[in-house]
Amino acid sequence: MADSTELKHRIRSIKDTHQITKAMELISISKLRKVIQKQSFSSIYFDNVRYTVKDILLHSSDVINPYTQKRMGNRTAYIVIAGDKGLCGSYNSDVLKLAWQDIQTKPEHYVITVGQMARSFFESKERSIDLAFTHAVTNPTLHDARGITRDILNLYNRNLMDEVFLVFTHMYSASFRKPEIIRLLPVLPEDIQMDVKPTFSGDILYDQAPNEILKIIVPQYLIGLIYSALIHASASEHTARRTAMSNANQNADKILDELNLQYNKLRQDKITTELADLSAGRI
Amino acid sequence: MNKFYLEIITPEKKFYADEVEKLKLPTSAGECLILANHQPMVFALEPGTLVLTQSGEAKEAFTSEGFVEIRPDAVVVFSQAVEWPEDIDEHRAREAQERAQEQLRLLKSEAEFQLNKRAMQRAFARLKLKKGGHFFRQ
Repeated sequence: MADSTELKHRIRSIKDTHQITKAMELISISKLRKVIQKQSFSSIYFDNVRYTVKDILLHSSDVINPYTQKRMGNRTAYIVIAGDKGLCGSYNSDVLKLAWQDIQTKPEHYVITVGQMARSFFESKERSIDLAFTHAVTNPTLHDARGITRDILNLYNRNLMDEVFLVFTHMYSASFRKPEIIRLLPVLPEDIQMDVKPTFSGDILYDQAPNEILKIIVPQYLIGLIYSALIHASASEHTARRTAMSNANQNADKILDELNLQYNKLRQDKITTELADLSAGRI
Repeated sequence: MNKFYLEIITPEKKFYADEVEKLKLPTSAGECLILANHQPMVFALEPGTLVLTQSGEAKEAFTSEGFVEIRPDAVVVFSQAVEWPEDIDEHRAREAQERAQEQLRLLKSEAEFQLNKRAMQRAFARLKLKKGGHFFRQ
């Protein structure tokens, strides 16, 4: 049986760690709530942008926009979104594994990472990273999404890549999330899934050619996609961390219970022996 | 005067949702005035000042790029940012303007020029509204 001071020491250190995991769980819960709230504000706007882009692409025959045209080459860029920190179960490894598998199938590819974990993953695989963003995942803002979109479009405009894919974790519900790959560029109508029902279904007149409108709203469509991917990734990370931390909390409670029991037993033993010694008059 | 339902939506919030009589918007083809019962239409917005008239009272607000959808039941403005004059951060707008001017001097490519032009347009529109036109008379 272990020494009582040793046990005491272990109990104290587990208690300390328990406090940290408890705080992390609470932080994840509150961050998750904030992220979901943000998502609900922006979704009306971006759903409508998506709808309009799709409407123009489907109904206008003479659309000329550099972002909606397929390019001939096969240079593929991947934007991989993972977390800034670990300690969130399999969240990071799942999304990175998917990205890695898909990247292997493309002969010519670029890697753009968002988040520390994504960066260190590719560094450990000795795959050079072409562009890295940090800070954007812990607390995604529109400003971050705009910055990323601007940089990507810049590269795309310079004709450095033919297709751009976004790899992120889609959060379906509190308990179900899945890493996914979606196409960002070129913008194709079949990629746009409509989740809003338009209130008006008649023909809409486009003042200024649809091209003019596309020029303005395609970048916004991309910002919307990246923003919602960041939000989904962030929400997934927080749910994953919450689950991991609540498991850790449960385990800590269990271990503490056991150790406390052991410690009390040990203490009781010692007292009993001392009492017995004293009453027997032994020195 | 006939009224119509106006909604102004930005990615951050629903900026406005109420009945108005008139709405004046900066579009890439010039200024455009919308009254009730307009034909369904979509057009693009430029950074500038939008003016909405509610019960005879005109209100101005800054708008960034975006687009407008005129539906039979409502007019919906989608813009990257819309701000009342009192909410405009003058300091930030001036900084953005200086940055854009500096970039313009370094002028690199056509695409960057366009990007800068937009940034400049936004900064000017904000400053103009904030100072009530004073900026340009100076």
